[in-house]
Amino acid sequence: MVYIPPLNFAPVVSTEVSLYRSGYPMPLNYAFIADQLHLRTIIYVGDKELSEDYNEFLTQHNIQYHFVHMNSCRDKNVQEQMDKVLRLIVDRANYPILIHSNKGKHRVGVVVGIIRKLLQGWSTTGIYQEYDIFSGGLKGQVDLEFITMFDTELIVRRDHLPDFVKWER
Amino acid sequence: MEATGERHKVKWFNGGMVQRMEDRLRDILERDSNNLLRLLKSEDEELELKFGLDTGAYDLHRMIDEDAGMKMRVEEIIKRFYIDAVPGISNREAQREKEVTGQKNTEKLEEDVDDVYDAEEHRGKSDAIRQETCEEEVIPPENFSHVVGEIYRSSFPRPENFSFLQQRIKLKSIMVLIPEEYPQENLEFMARAGIKLFQFGMSGNKEPFVNIPSDLLTSALEVAINPENHPVLIHCNRGKHRTGCLVGCIRRLQNWSLTMIFDEYRRFAFPKARALDQQFIEMYDEDKIKRIAQEKQWLPIQW
Repeated sequence: MVYIPPLNFAPVVSTEVSLYRSGYPMPLNYAFIADQLHLRTIIYVGDKELSEDYNEFLTQHNIQYHFVHMNSCRDKNVQEQMDKVLRLIVDRANYPILIHSNKGKHRVGVVVGIIRKLLQGWSTTGIYQEYDIFSGGLKGQVDLEFITMFDTELIVRRDHLPDFVKWER
Repeated sequence: MEATGERHKVKWFNGGMVQRMEDRLRDILERDSNNLLRLLKSEDEELELKFGLDTGAYDLHRMIDEDAGMKMRVEEIIKRFYIDAVPGISNREAQREKEVTGQKNTEKLEEDVDDVYDAEEHRGKSDAIRQETCEEEVIPPENFSHVVGEIYRSSFPRPENFSFLQQRIKLKSIMVLIPEEYPQENLEFMARAGIKLFQFGMSGNKEPFVNIPSDLLTSALEVAINPENHPVLIHCNRGKHRTGCLVGCIRRLQNWSLTMIFDEYRRFAFPKARALDQQFIEMYDEDKIKRIAQEKQWLPIQW
């Protein structure tokens, strides 16, 4: 059995919880996702409607699907949408999570960058490098600026925080 | 929005002008340096004549001395001038460079800078990164990523990365794929943090004659996928080629399609993907390591 991971697939966090990133999963990739990742949640940051076979796949494997509409980080409501994503991320009950966009480059790159910065306290250098690896160094300026400037306040349940999240005591 | 757009345009235009002037100056410098020097000198003299010979107020040298930035640039030029003036030095260097670029197809093999560990270079980068990072941040090594489960990959870790590796990743082992001796400060860090070192010295694949020995890679894999050693960080110098080969072979053990294995390889090797590395991954005979891994029940590798 040959497994075909989705485009730009990679683990983001593998501690007690698992968080993955990728491009849009296609029927080719379903076997890989089902057999290997045992997902509880999929978050899609993007602009496409849910396709029929994808919907079927999600139901069949009992995966919670969250559609967070986002064209790019220049959207007017981007703060609100990003908060939606983060609320899912900071609740350990949702893991294992796969977060994907269409190509797994820019939108997911921004989400991962913000997780690295706000939840894990990575240096800007490290965040930029990771963004570049997955985007192929293209069209990053606005996204990187957004990651650097983004800040938010969320009310979270401490006992639900996944172990990789750092918070000020 | 409109206004800022305008400003950008103007800025760009000015930049363009400056650029063009510099280009012209460079042109003149190359074609007619004697005349340029003579002109500068006579201008210096003329100014002195005009404004009183001994005031020194318009002395070129003094002006240069007073402007730190200009002084540095001039000194740079003077240094280059002297090196160029000593017959042989620069010529020899230029010759060597030519040989290096021209010898790809001859029997002499050039060293790709990516493959050689250079302590000086890494120290320089460390300083630069430290300057732009604040205290409470953690700094992952360059080209760092998760591979699968608790297997990680990166380029050569430097002191600024140690706290990240120890406290966040909580490393148990490091696997290094370079033949050079491991730096003392890294060894000291590992002793402090109780991290085990596995060294599998190999040279990267290089057209057409240097190949990673397949057996060596098998023994490296045996250590890398052994859960007893996890969390493990696999690295070489840049985390591109040798590490890319090893990770590619791990993907083979996970039954990934070759296309996606190569896609990942190229992502991390960018912009220097090597055909030979990808060929190596494709041709690697995984029978032996699969047998070992199955016996020890390491397969499938857990995410």
